[in-house]
Amino acid sequence: MKCTFVPSICSYCGTGCGVLFETIDGKLISTIPMKSHPVSGGKLCIKGWNLHEHINSPMRLKKPLVKTFGRFINTSWDEAIQITADRFKDIIEKYGPDSIGVLVSAKMSNEENYLAQKLARAVFGTNNVDHCARL
Amino acid sequence: MKRKVKEWLEDGTVDLFLGYRMNCGHPLPHCFTKEEIDDVEHLLVSRTRYSLEKIATHLAKRDPELKIGLLARDCNQRAINVLTIWHQLDKDKIFALNVNCCPSPIKPQADCSYMSGEQTSSYKVQVGIDNLMDIEKADDFSDQEKNVRWMYEFQKCLKCYGCRNICPVCFCAECTLEHKDLIGPGRLPPQIPIFHLVRAAHMAGRCIDCGLCEDACPMDIPLRLLYRKVGEIVKNVFDYNTGESSEQSPLSLLGEKVSLSLKPM
Ligand code: SF4
Ligand code: SF4
Ligand code: SF4
Ligand code: SF4
Repeated sequence: MKCTFVPSICSYCGTGCGVLFETIDGKLISTIPMKSHPVSGGKLCIKGWNLHEHINSPMRLKKPLVKTFGRFINTSWDEAIQITADRFKDIIEKYGPDSIGVLVSAKMSNEENYLAQKLARAVFGTNNVDHCARL
Repeated sequence: MKRKVKEWLEDGTVDLFLGYRMNCGHPLPHCFTKEEIDDVEHLLVSRTRYSLEKIATHLAKRDPELKIGLLARDCNQRAINVLTIWHQLDKDKIFALNVNCCPSPIKPQADCSYMSGEQTSSYKVQVGIDNLMDIEKADDFSDQEKNVRWMYEFQKCLKCYGCRNICPVCFCAECTLEHKDLIGPGRLPPQIPIFHLVRAAHMAGRCIDCGLCEDACPMDIPLRLLYRKVGEIVKNVFDYNTGESSEQSPLSLLGEKVSLSLKPM
């Protein structure tokens, strides 16, 4: 039996509390607050305490789905990305690039947020970038 | 200490050993194994405390035959006692390596996060409960003042459940604190004082005064003091020493029999 403790940062909000993931045989078992973390000092809010739950949740989407005639259908990543790109192209052609907005999130890393705004500005051609906290 | 752990791992006394090592600049729990025996060189007794025995219960649940070694301070040892009494750990499968611990007159040297107690802010001392207070001092307030002061503390609660999650002796499959009829969901603060008093009642005869709950409480509610009071009542009324006794507490309501025998007068 293998048990590990992986230090990480809570991804639920901008505070960035320190957490420790307890895994047993590769399965995430629980989230423990990191005692010596300079930001959170061993304390977490209810979201941080339950980080492991959404990873293990059976409700989690693991495959891309495409809505066709009102129903969600399994598809491949390539196809899903192609369909999304085609739809975006259509919309931009018809209504202009500012008809598209990009919502980023504190649940993503800095790098992912950077890439998302890059996609919005350089590819879509819009400055409509906002944060989920302002939804 | 390191030699002992190596010995245990090598001769199969234990299958794995829970201790601490530096990881990414932090002293963190680590599971030492025979396969990576050289890692034992990094074993350390850190000032930060984690409930290693709670992790041991997770391991034991997956494999009841597993022999688990762990580093145990006084509080860990008391928690192990309670957990074995309540059948969460098998006492033949747990091997505790005792280490130096909490400060006291007879123990001038100690490694413990409790050594550096922070001073309580003056506002809290004025209107709430000073976390550093002892039971007698806290009992000195008039009933009305007690009520106001404790309610001030309780209304800060974020309902993060941190106090329950981190507690080594909270192991119920279904927790009363999440029962929607008792503690209404979707409210902040949670229903007070019932939220805190329910937990306090459950800690009677279980809480081993490790203080991890108070450590984890983002709102600095003096939980340890509250449970100490409960523990004191159990000791005075039932003559039961939580963490030291080898029997289940007299307040055991699980199972068939309810035994509430009072301390002989
Ligand atoms: S634990 Fe709570 S406060 Fe801390 S980063 Fe996560 S969501 Fe934010
Ligand atoms: S002090 Fe707190 S965390 Fe420790 S056993 Fe008591 S209730 Fe649980
Ligand atoms: S002892 Fe009480 S507070 Fe702790 S887990 Fe059980 S029901 Fe919840
Ligand atoms: S840890 Fe503190 S804030 Fe969180 S539920 Fe317990 S008492 Fe409330």
